[in-house]
Amino acid sequence: MASSTEADDGRLTARDWFADRATHAVPYLLVIPGLIFVIGVLGYAVIGGFVLSVNETDMFLNKSFVGLRNYITVFNDPRFQASLIRTIVFVICSITLGIVMSMIFALTLYHVGFGRRFFRGISLVPYFVSGIATAVMFRFVFTTSGGFANFVLYKFGLPTPSWLGNPYLAFMVAVFANCWHMVPFSTLILLGGLQTVDRDIYDAATIDGASGTQTFFKITLPMIKPMLGVSLIWVSYISFSTFDIILAMTSGGPQRATEVVSMYMYQLAYLQLDFGQGAVLMVVLLSINTLLSLFYIYFFVLSDMRDAKEAKT
Amino acid sequence: MSETLNHQEQPVLGRERSSLQHYLRRSRRFLLIGLPLAFLVIWTSVPILWAFMASLKEPLEIYESNTFFPRSPSLEAYQTVLAIDGFGKWIFNSVLVTVVATIVPLILSILAAYGFARYFFRFRHILLLLYLVPRIIPRVSLIVPLNDLMSNLGLINTYWVLYITYIASAVPLSTWILVGFFKSVPKEIEESATIDGANMWNRLRYVILPIAWPGVVTAAVLCIREGWNEFAFVLALVTETGMRTLPYALYTLRDSMGVQNFAVYNAFTILTVLPLLIVYLLLERRVVESIVTGAVK
Repeated sequence: MASSTEADDGRLTARDWFADRATHAVPYLLVIPGLIFVIGVLGYAVIGGFVLSVNETDMFLNKSFVGLRNYITVFNDPRFQASLIRTIVFVICSITLGIVMSMIFALTLYHVGFGRRFFRGISLVPYFVSGIATAVMFRFVFTTSGGFANFVLYKFGLPTPSWLGNPYLAFMVAVFANCWHMVPFSTLILLGGLQTVDRDIYDAATIDGASGTQTFFKITLPMIKPMLGVSLIWVSYISFSTFDIILAMTSGGPQRATEVVSMYMYQLAYLQLDFGQGAVLMVVLLSINTLLSLFYIYFFVLSDMRDAKEAKT
Repeated sequence: MSETLNHQEQPVLGRERSSLQHYLRRSRRFLLIGLPLAFLVIWTSVPILWAFMASLKEPLEIYESNTFFPRSPSLEAYQTVLAIDGFGKWIFNSVLVTVVATIVPLILSILAAYGFARYFFRFRHILLLLYLVPRIIPRVSLIVPLNDLMSNLGLINTYWVLYITYIASAVPLSTWILVGFFKSVPKEIEESATIDGANMWNRLRYVILPIAWPGVVTAAVLCIREGWNEFAFVLALVTETGMRTLPYALYTLRDSMGVQNFAVYNAFTILTVLPLLIVYLLLERRVVESIVTGAVK
C-alpha cells in the first residue's frame, strides 16, 4: 500500500525517507485541491453566517457586535413564527405527497412491460428543469385565464378558481410544483431499490398465498428501507430549502400564504437589508438541515463505514 | 437481463389459464399499471407541453384557452425572444459558467475520488465527511454570508464569483458519485498495471477512467445541470443586467415586460430549458442507469 517503498531490509536511507514521505503525501495532494473550494466557499459561508447573526450591519455594511439580540428579535417576530410553521406544513405536505407519488411511479415503472427505457427517460425530465422554469410553467398552468387547470375544469363545466389568488390554493400549487420538481429523482432511487429485491421472494410469497398489498407492506417496504431513507432525505432536504420555485411563482404571496423561511430570509436580507436578522434565519435553516444530515449520516454513511471496517478485519 | 426475461414469462403464465381469468388478470393489470403510467406521463409532460403550445399560439388565443393545440402555430414569439436586448449575452454567460463549472469540478473530483477510493490515509473519513456534508447544506441559506464575503473581496458582478461558488457547490456531488464508481473498479487490474510499470497518473488515465467512464459522464451531466440551473447564487451575487444567466433572466422577465405576453414568456422558458434537456436526452441511458443503480444519492 502507501508505505510499500520502504526499504526491504528495514534500513531507511535519506532518499528512501523522502520517497516515503512523498508517497504518504500523495492522497492528501489528491484530496486537498477540491477541499479548498468546498471549505473556502461553503465552510466560510457557514462560519460567516454565524458571525453575521450576532452582529448588526448598517447601510455601509459596517458590523457591530450585538450578541443574541438578532435572535431574540427574530424569534419574537410573529412573521417569522408564521413562516416557520408554514415551512413545516409545506415540508410535511410535500414529503407525504412526494413519497406517495414516488412510490406509485416507481412501482409502475418497475412493472411496466413495454417501453421501459422510454418511460424512465420521460420520468426524469423534470429533474433537469430549473426551479425557476418549473415555477414559471406551473404559474402558467394555474393561470386564471389561459392555464391548463382551468382549461380542463372549464371543459368539464366545473368552476374555474383563481388558483394563485387564493391563499390555500396557492399553497397547494406551491406543493405541487415542488413535488413535480423533486419526485423524479426519488422515483428512480426507489426504482433502484425495487430492482435489488430478488424476484424469487415474490414468487415464494405468491405461492404462500400472500396478497398484493401484504407482499408490498411485508416484503417490498422492508427490503427497500435504505432506498426509502435516501429518498426521504432527498425529498425533505429539497422541501426545506425550496426557494426559487416559490420566489418565481408567488413571491411569498398571496397574503404571505407561501412565505416560507427561505423566502422571509431573502426578504430580510435583500429587501430590508437587515443582514444580521437574515443570517439568523440562515442559522435556523441550516440547523434544521444539519439535524436531517446527522440523521442521514448516522443511518447511512456511518453504518456503511462500519460494514466496510468489519469486512476489512 | 433477468428482469426482461421475467416479464416475458408473465404473459406465458397467463395464457395457460382460462381465457376469462386471463381477461380479468389483464384488465386488472391494465388498471394497476396503465392508469398510474398515464398519470405519470401526463403529470410530467403537461407543464412543459402546455408552455410549448402556448409559445406557438397567439396572445389572444392563450387568453381564450379553448384548445390544447395552437390553431395556427407560429414561431413569432421565439423571434421576439431572440431579439431581446441581451439575450445572446445571457446565453453566453450561462454556457461559459456551466462549462467552467463542469470541467474544473470534474478534474478536482476525479483527483479527490481517486484519493478516497484507493488510498488509506489518516483523517480519511473526516476529510470525506467534509466533502459530503456540504451536499446537505441548503444553498440558499449561504447567500447572505457569501454576499458579505464577495463584496468585501470586490468580486460582485464578475464571472469569478460565479465560477468560485458554482465550482464549490458542484465538487461535493461529483466527488461522491466518482468515489463509488472508482471503488467498483477491481483493484487487481490496477495492481497488474503497477507491475507493468504504470505510475499513478497512467493508472488513473488508462485504467480507472476508461472503466469508470459511465460515472464520469454521469458526474458531468449532473455538474452541467447544477451550473445551468443554479439560481440562488447568481441572484445574490450579480446585479448587473449583462452578467445574468438564463434562469435569472427568466426570473426578471416578468418585471421587464410591460404587458404579460404569455407567448413570449413561454418561448423564453422553453429556450432556457431546451439546451439542458437535449444534453440529458443524449446521455439519458447512462444517467438513468447511474441513479437507478444507486450511484447517485
